[in-house]
This record gives sequence, C-alpha cells and structure tokens, in this order.
Amino acid sequence: MIWTGILILFCLIGVYAYYRQLSKGLVVTNMRDYVSWGIYISNFVFFVAISLVGSLITAIFRLANIHWSTPLTRIAEIIAVSAITFASIIIIVDMGRPERLVNLVAHGRLQSPITWDVIVIGTYFFISLLLLYIPMLPDLKILNEQKNIKPGWIKRGYKFWGGFWKGTKEQSKISRRSIIILSIMIIPVAFCIHTVTSWLFATTYRPGWDSTNFGAYFVSGAFLVGAGAVIIAMYVFRKYYHLEKYITEKHFDRMGKALVLLAFLYLYFNINEYLVPAFKMKKPEEAHLTQLFAGEFAPLFWFAIIVGMVIPVIVLLFKKGRKPLPMFVIGIMVVVGAWFKRYLIVTPTLLHPFLPMQDVPQSYKHYFPSWEEWAIAIGTLAGALLIITIFVRLFPIIPIQETITEQNEKNEGK
Amino acid sequence: MKENKYLLLFLLFSGILINNKVIAQDDSIVAEEIVKLKYYNSKNSMQFLILENYQRTRKKSEPLVNKKFQLYLDSIQPETLIAAITTNNTGKAKSFLPINLKNVWEASATHKFIAIAAGKEAEPAAAIEITKAKIHLDTTTSDGVRSITVTVSKYENGEWIPANEVEMKVGVLRLGGILPAGDEGTYTTDSSGTITVEVTKDSLPGDTNGNFLIAARVENNDQLGNLEVEQLVPWGVAVKTGKDFFSQRTLWSTRFKTPFWLLFMAYGIVLSVWGTLIYLIIQFFKIKKLGKIHTTR
Repeated sequence: MIWTGILILFCLIGVYAYYRQLSKGLVVTNMRDYVSWGIYISNFVFFVAISLVGSLITAIFRLANIHWSTPLTRIAEIIAVSAITFASIIIIVDMGRPERLVNLVAHGRLQSPITWDVIVIGTYFFISLLLLYIPMLPDLKILNEQKNIKPGWIKRGYKFWGGFWKGTKEQSKISRRSIIILSIMIIPVAFCIHTVTSWLFATTYRPGWDSTNFGAYFVSGAFLVGAGAVIIAMYVFRKYYHLEKYITEKHFDRMGKALVLLAFLYLYFNINEYLVPAFKMKKPEEAHLTQLFAGEFAPLFWFAIIVGMVIPVIVLLFKKGRKPLPMFVIGIMVVVGAWFKRYLIVTPTLLHPFLPMQDVPQSYKHYFPSWEEWAIAIGTLAGALLIITIFVRLFPIIPIQETITEQNEKNEGK
Repeated sequence: MKENKYLLLFLLFSGILINNKVIAQDDSIVAEEIVKLKYYNSKNSMQFLILENYQRTRKKSEPLVNKKFQLYLDSIQPETLIAAITTNNTGKAKSFLPINLKNVWEASATHKFIAIAAGKEAEPAAAIEITKAKIHLDTTTSDGVRSITVTVSKYENGEWIPANEVEMKVGVLRLGGILPAGDEGTYTTDSSGTITVEVTKDSLPGDTNGNFLIAARVENNDQLGNLEVEQLVPWGVAVKTGKDFFSQRTLWSTRFKTPFWLLFMAYGIVLSVWGTLIYLIIQFFKIKKLGKIHTTR
C-alpha cells in the first residue's frame, strides 16, 4: 500500500508539473535552441529499449524451445506493455502543443522516420497486449473458478475478460496457433521499433548520431536493459509473493548468463561507436567526444560503461554472482546505467552541432533539466511501475496453466 | 595515532567548510550593469545607434529586458533628443537619427551620443564620441586578377581627409558574416586611407545570374564607430535551380510526392502486419464464440 501510495504521489507531482508546462509552455523546461531533446526524449528511448524484453523472453526463447523462461514470460510482457505505454505518453509530453499530434495523421509524410516510429510503436503495443492477454486466458479460467474473490468488481472483471474460456480442444488449438503467430511477428516488429527509434537520431547529421551502426547498437542495448529490468522484477516478485518454487535460483543463474552475453554484445557495439570516431578524431566531432571521454559528461559516461556493463560482466562470470541478491543489485546497476546512457546519447550531441548557432545566450549552451522536467520524467517512470504493480495485484504474474503443463510434461518425460 | 586520525578528520572538514565559504563568497559578487552605445554608418547613407544593456557577474552575462533609455545628440536638451528606446529580449535597442536633427548633424565634424537611463537622469548611462566618416568600395580586374579597393575618409576641419590605421574586414557577404576575399582576415588602411585586396576565392556560388555581394566592414573603431559598404559583383558561379525540383518524388519532398518504392514498401509492411493482427482478432472472437457454444451445450 505504501509502495502504491508513493508511486501515485510521484505520478500526481508529474501531472502537476505537466499542467504547469501546458499552461506556461515549454519555457518551464530548460530545453532551448541547442538542446531541444532533453530528458523527455532520453526517457522515451529508455522506455522503448526496456520494452524490447517482451520479445526476447516471450518470443525468442519460446520459439527457440527454451522452457526454463516460461515463468518469466508474463513479467517480461507486462514490463513491455507498461514501458511502451509510457514511451507513447512521454513523446507527447515532449510536444509543446500536444493537440498538434493530430497533424501527424492529417499532414504526416511517409518519408519521415517520426511517422514510421508512430506506426511501429502502435503496432508493437498492440502485439504486446495480445501476447500478454491470450496466454493469460487459461489462468483467467482458474481465477473465475475461485469462489472467495472480493470485491465483486474484480470477479466481474475476470468473468468479462476470461469467462468465455472453457479450455476446449478447439479453443486451445486456436490460442496456441495465435501465440505462435504473435511470437513470430513480434520479433521483426521489436527490431523495427528500436531500429526506427535509432534512425530518428541517425538520419540527422550530427556528431555522435551520424552512424550506420546505430540500429544494431540500440537493439543490443535494449536487450541488455530489458533483461536487467526482468531480473529486478524477478527478485522483487519472488521475495514479496514467495514464488521461490517457480522463480528458482536456476532462473537467476540462466538470466545471469544471458545478461553476460547481452552486456558483451552491447560493449562490442559501444567500442565500435566510440573507438572508431575517437581514432579519427575529426575536428567537428572532437568537442563532442572529448566532452564524453574527459569533459563535462565524463563521470556519467564512464559510470554508464563501467557500472552498466563492465562490472555486471565481471560479477556475473562467477557462479556466486548469479545468485538472486547479487543479480538484483546487478539488475539495478544495468537499468540505472542504461538510463544515463540514453541521456548521453541524446544531450551531449545536441550541445555540439556542426554549425554552432549565432548570438544565443550563454545559458543555451548548457543543459540541466528543470524541476518540471525531472518531475514529469520521474512521474512517467512511477507510472510504468504503477501499471506493473496494479497488474500484479489483479493477475497471476506466473503463467499458472502453462507452468503446470510444462512441469507435468517434464515429469512424464522422466 | 588516534589523535592523528581526529586531526586529519578535522582538517578535512575544515577544508570542506573553507572551500564552501569561498564558493559562497563567489556567488555573492554584486552584479554589474553594463550599458554600451554603438554608432553605425551603413552604406554612407544610413546612420543609426544600437544600445546594449546587460548584467554581468563573474560567471555569466544576462541581457536586461524592457529597460528604458533616452538618446541625445551632443547635449542633453529636449531639442537634441534622438529617441526614447526600450531594450528587447536580447537586451538591445536600436534608433535611427531623426530628420529634425539634420542641421545639428551637419554642423560639426565630431558628435557625441549620450544615453540616459530612465529614472537615472543625473548622469549618462553611456556616451560615445565619433568623427563623421565615409567608406567607399571599388573593384578592378586586371589580367584576370580581381581586386577590391576600399577607401576610408574622415571629416576634419571642413574637408574629407584619408583615415589611416583603420582595421576592417573585406570579403564576400554570406549568411553568417563576411567570408574573407583575400588571404588575411582583416586589413588596415595606409596613409592614403586605402586598402587593396586581391581576391583569392573563386568559384563561389552566386545567385541565378552569378552575382554576389562583397562588403567592407569597420567594427568598433574608437574614432569612427562601425562602417559598412556593399557592392554587387558578377564574380560568382550562377546557381541554377531545377524547375522540376518540387515535382520529383524524393525523400525530402512533400507528403504527396513520396517515392513509389517507399510507398510500396511501407504499405506492404503495414498491411501484412496489420492484416495478420486483424486475422488474430478474428481468431480471438472465434475463441469467444466457441466458449459461448460450449456453455449453452
């Protein structure tokens, strides 16, 4: 209750800050002519990245016949749905005049990556929602059969959403086929969502963004942060809902190994992204790169690399590091490092354009978010956690039917 | 050993406190208000003044907005008032010399401009003294070598005499400023008040007829102020704009001119993905229907 209350409070502060932004305009933010994409867009990229985990755990593992991840699929899917919801919200918050969103439909150009992004985000949201809902139908039947559910509206809700599921052969057959189709479909759409998001940057000619590596770089980073988020959720749900029987140490061990692979992958792309331009040190990119390596942004940059990637790899290479508690700490390090990494992708580049602007106040050449920006950004993060919290209170976070079936099959196999 | 440890801690905290105090003192430096008055003579025909008003601390300069000033020519009297001005959001205000001061302007070779801040009439906020000056630009082409000659003269003792030691920029007028025409960034007039620049930049894009503007600009000269002169010359490369540019289907054209390959690709992907999703929704309703049939049985 305290946890939910804190999240609601953060959301309300965020709503108040947004009210101020709507009534006074974007001037309440510290975004100016130089940094026009600040903490909001960093948050957007972070949310899009974290949402990718749905496709990794639910689809890729499922299609690869990896069954140990079954108890984690719903955690991954609800993280994906809540993250993509707030990715859509924060992009509208970034607009000074949100009602002009309609212009994208009325006057949008198919040549613009923004149009592609809106289409692909909408599609990914819908697929994620279906992948969350359809596998949950058998569990809703179990919930419907419970007699002592109170209050009544929850029972009515279960009946509305899953009262029609009888578990017949035909229903199971259609459901299974639908889940396989969704699992196949979500992989290219998930790759598209983050590749297109990366193109919002890469199609702009700026230091740090002018890269052909950006799509793969974003996708690999997204898998890493998503896996980190799932590990945090695994630990929290396991501890507070006593799910030790379902989310075992083996799950942590395997997720740890997966995380090492993903961290190595992301490190590889980071080395590509920074070492090659740093080797050439082209004059127009020099200010940007030196600011990252040894200047104003160096503490954040090295924090994101070392805490978000290097330390997790070192710790998780040891078996003891892949135990639940160290994994939880590593998960937090990965997610926090990833958030700052998104900030570093967006902001420093904007401060170093190829053609500096003339006659702008000195204050435009630095950026630190205003309290309204912080409040809105924290409010959206709290909102995403609130969706997960409410979901977990209402629905089983472990796919009951699927896990039981798989365990039975495993036992029969023995 | 224990005492040493406490001594070390004490020194550490004292260091932090002293350091904080120094920072606090830094922040408390009183901001200084700056008023600058600048005289401009554009193309020998248009004289105007720009007033800059800002507040400066050690760390930064902030423009002072909506500040009111009165500008006077030579003396502070109602009849020599040039204009009442107010600074804009960049802390600047501009005023031209009014026609009613023509006689005062022509009566003397040197003039003083005085700015009085509203509410602080006791003493001028800023004042500058300038000598009237003219700047002329001429071009020559000899043996295929193009040259720009600029002459600056000032008005003294009832006649125009050469102004020497005047530094200026000479070059091609571009959007961001003056692109130097020769090898040097700035040039200084000799005893005849003249400079000659050999144009080393060629093949620069001009307008559709190959014309561009060349300019000479004297900036913040203590005696003459700011002088500028321009001239259109046919030294550029004619830039031809394709007439059918806007009718092409390109990635940068309007929404009605999307390239066909993109249209087919984008609609193909969207239709196939959403077609499958619609199929899945139909399947979902099938599941629902099967459930109802099962219940009625």
